[in-house]
Amino acid sequence: MKRRDLLKGTLAAGSIAALEARGENDFPGILDTNVNLFHWPFRRLPLDETEKLVAKLRSLGITKAFAGSFEGVFHRDLSAANARLAGECARFPELVPVASINPSKSGWHRDLNAAKTAIRLHPAYHGYGLDHPGFADLLSAAAERGLLVQLAVALEDPRTQPDLMRVAEVDLSPLPAVMVKAPKAKVQLLNWKGRGTVTNTLRDLPNLSVDTALADGTDAVATLVKTFGPERVLFGTHAPFLIPEAALVRVHEANLAEGDLLAVIRKSADHWLA
Amino acid sequence: MKPADLTWGLPPAEQLRSYRIWDSYFTPAHGHPGKDGVSATLADMTRAERAIELGQFEKLCHFAHVGIGTTGDAAVEELLRKTPDLVRKPFEAWPDKLIGMIQLNSTEVKASLEAVDRWLGDGPMVGVYFPGGGPGSLACSDPSLEPLVEAVIARKGLIMQHTWNKTGGKQGPGESTPAELAVVAARYPGQVFICAHAGGEWEQGLRAVRDTPNVWIETSGFDATAGFIEMAVREIGEDRILFGSHLPSRSLGTELTKVTAAEISEEAKRKILGGNFRRLLGG
Repeated sequence: MKRRDLLKGTLAAGSIAALEARGENDFPGILDTNVNLFHWPFRRLPLDETEKLVAKLRSLGITKAFAGSFEGVFHRDLSAANARLAGECARFPELVPVASINPSKSGWHRDLNAAKTAIRLHPAYHGYGLDHPGFADLLSAAAERGLLVQLAVALEDPRTQPDLMRVAEVDLSPLPAVMVKAPKAKVQLLNWKGRGTVTNTLRDLPNLSVDTALADGTDAVATLVKTFGPERVLFGTHAPFLIPEAALVRVHEANLAEGDLLAVIRKSADHWLA
Repeated sequence: MKPADLTWGLPPAEQLRSYRIWDSYFTPAHGHPGKDGVSATLADMTRAERAIELGQFEKLCHFAHVGIGTTGDAAVEELLRKTPDLVRKPFEAWPDKLIGMIQLNSTEVKASLEAVDRWLGDGPMVGVYFPGGGPGSLACSDPSLEPLVEAVIARKGLIMQHTWNKTGGKQGPGESTPAELAVVAARYPGQVFICAHAGGEWEQGLRAVRDTPNVWIETSGFDATAGFIEMAVREIGEDRILFGSHLPSRSLGTELTKVTAAEISEEAKRKILGGNFRRLLGG
């Protein structure tokens, strides 16, 4: 059996034939909206060297990745952390640096002014809620600069965190009111499980998108697409903390229509960044 | 690049088939089989079909409620007691695929002992599952479980114990930790105890059981955190690890890639994905 036949055997029924029939041979590859560089402080990860991570992404057909950094979570001098991230990303054409910003502490405007394309927030780890006035200010400022705001809802299951660093998931309930006041802000939730009573109100925010990294359950990605529409569900792996193949299989497992599948793995992200 | 070039994170189907995957932790309607005793289980089996097909699974182990108070629903418990054929229906639906264990009620030892005799003695069940929550759970360290353990050993059954090692401590009295299971297992060195979920927080879970050779671990039930299987192979060895899918409440992506994407040998993958389970079942 030829490799191509093997590959086809694993694909959603009809998807490949339909894509090829439409002449989608210039597919630019998958865009991963959710990776981090450098070291997770609590254990070494198999892909925590950038060369290994990028090689893995390439092997999976991921040609572009939005890279934040674990330093941007745990360091206080975010300007230096963001500079190191930008320097590392410059070595790899696939990587787009995503600066970490902490709007609850003074000095964040300069970090924001240095950012390009997207920024990443870690409210849980930086110790502020979405009702903090700095968050609203940042949304407006990011909207003026045309930056996508990535908001990490969690990084690790609270049940498995180190005893001395327990970090709850971000309370999203204030988000709708804040986004209404910043109507041009574009926000993407990272590592949101896609569950809970807040889902209905989040669904009604047209400038809000979500990633797929922690949407678990055999039909969880399909449910996200059904709830938010394929244009608001963006592929993300949360690598190297999570195994990148996991998110990719999960999208495949969702058995999406071919157009929705292409939207999730690439086109929607391109649209949000345009 | 063409979309057809994508592997979607899975090994080729032929390679997956060569692993002969036997899933030790399949959880359709894990908490409640449906008001009629079976429909929710059958619906979840259908829900999992695509993932099972993509993963090329050969067999899956399901944990059945058998009417001894594990659901908390008195009506369905009575129905299952009076109509044991309902318990058999999932196995009749997938006769070549399903393996069964019964969920035990640790707070109802007499009924559980009778269920062990009935379902392990007469079949089709091959072992028992001690839950980590719900009305039938007790910590595995509770002395009242000893007669149950000994009855299962006498029947040469498998023992799967749900474990979690939660930051901040247990969230309920029925939860068990890998450390507690290791203490119990040390009293019965001839019996394998399967530590479901490796404690969830697997770094401490693996350390807790690595020196107790009759504790094996099961791989499902937590996020696809990188490095788990590599540490498991390093610390307890590839011969004491059983793949579990936790489908459909968790995903093929989350659970299968823990093994298929791990930086371990192909031989170790074959053992973890099915060989070890077959060996445990005497195959």
